[in-house]
Amino acid sequence: MQELVSEFNFKMGIYQAELKRAMNYLSANSKVIFLGQAVAFPGTAMTTTLEDIDKNKLIEMPVEEDLQMGVATGMAMHGLVPVSIFPRWNFMLLAVNQIVNHLDKLQELLNVKVPPKVIIRTGIGSLKPLDPGPQHKGDYTTAFKAMCNKIEIVRLDSSDMIFPSYKRALEREDGISTIIVEWSDKYYE
Amino acid sequence: MLLLSMELIKQDLVDFEDKVADAFNSGKIKAPIHLYSGNEDLLINIFKSISKDDWVFCSWRSHYQCLLKGVPESDLFEAILEGRSIALSFLEYKIFSSAIVSGQIPIALGVAMSIKREFSKEKVFCFLGDMTAETGIAQSAFTYAENFDLPITFIVEDNGISVCTDTRQTWGVKKLRFEESDNKKIITYKYSNKYPHAGAGKRVQF
Repeated sequence: MQELVSEFNFKMGIYQAELKRAMNYLSANSKVIFLGQAVAFPGTAMTTTLEDIDKNKLIEMPVEEDLQMGVATGMAMHGLVPVSIFPRWNFMLLAVNQIVNHLDKLQELLNVKVPPKVIIRTGIGSLKPLDPGPQHKGDYTTAFKAMCNKIEIVRLDSSDMIFPSYKRALEREDGISTIIVEWSDKYYE
Repeated sequence: MLLLSMELIKQDLVDFEDKVADAFNSGKIKAPIHLYSGNEDLLINIFKSISKDDWVFCSWRSHYQCLLKGVPESDLFEAILEGRSIALSFLEYKIFSSAIVSGQIPIALGVAMSIKREFSKEKVFCFLGDMTAETGIAQSAFTYAENFDLPITFIVEDNGISVCTDTRQTWGVKKLRFEESDNKKIITYKYSNKYPHAGAGKRVQF
């Protein structure tokens, strides 16, 4: 555990600082809740951006991505605004059924103008200091844009995109869910 | 507790499905349908425990649940004529269906988690078939719901088949896991459906 923690004990750059500011902003909304892996427990660089958030708003989920994604949609149907966190695109591929067949189709399935919305947070695995190989560094932004008609997908290519993207995802009133993609390597910049 | 549709009796449900079957067989419905039969009394009894404020989640076969949850027959029939039989959802009546195997299960679980978090008195009832009950995500949901004592009941509707596939033969067992489970969040019933998996038996299979 000590080694895992120290792996992420680097100096915070502006990209990571902006992510942390965005998460703190989201958490100020009483309806927002965060769920995923390494959300309430340490384990990924993303965890460091959640460390200021009230622990009652952090739900650690079992590692079963499609279950997690469906749970987030259910919470949204009940009135919450879940932030469903997947540390890697590659992991989020296991939630494609709930994202493409359910969340993206929610407006049509529910036959409503403004469906419940979810904010999904994921990342492109870092190449530095260790290259994790072909199963941890995929970027499926283009593929998901092709598969999802009703979900907005934003890749955070620069730090100045971070806060406005999360603010828009939270405040929009059209029921559109958002997938926000970050570059793990930019944490080190 | 405000009970739902207590006036509905078995024959009302049977008559509705027969009406849908006639509409399908005469070409008025240009989309797949999934019909129930043989479980009317069982469902009516289950719905005695379901109130207006509770949530119901279903698979692709949900006409009976919609009626018993209070969706007006005319609204339901119109939705079926529009081609929505296999994924009927009426948010105002708190009923959601998915045409994807197991799709409704984690969504139902999420509603139950939110209910518990907000100290609400609502409950969740999630219907699923015997083959679906054997999937990994169903087993995970059963376990999670029991471990956290969530306000959810899973109702496994066991007709022994998935489309035409024998569930127990396919898994190589005489008893499925839910039959031997002591998980208090699961209830089961067996039934035999006179209708085929899809359609009403007289027209092109979906």
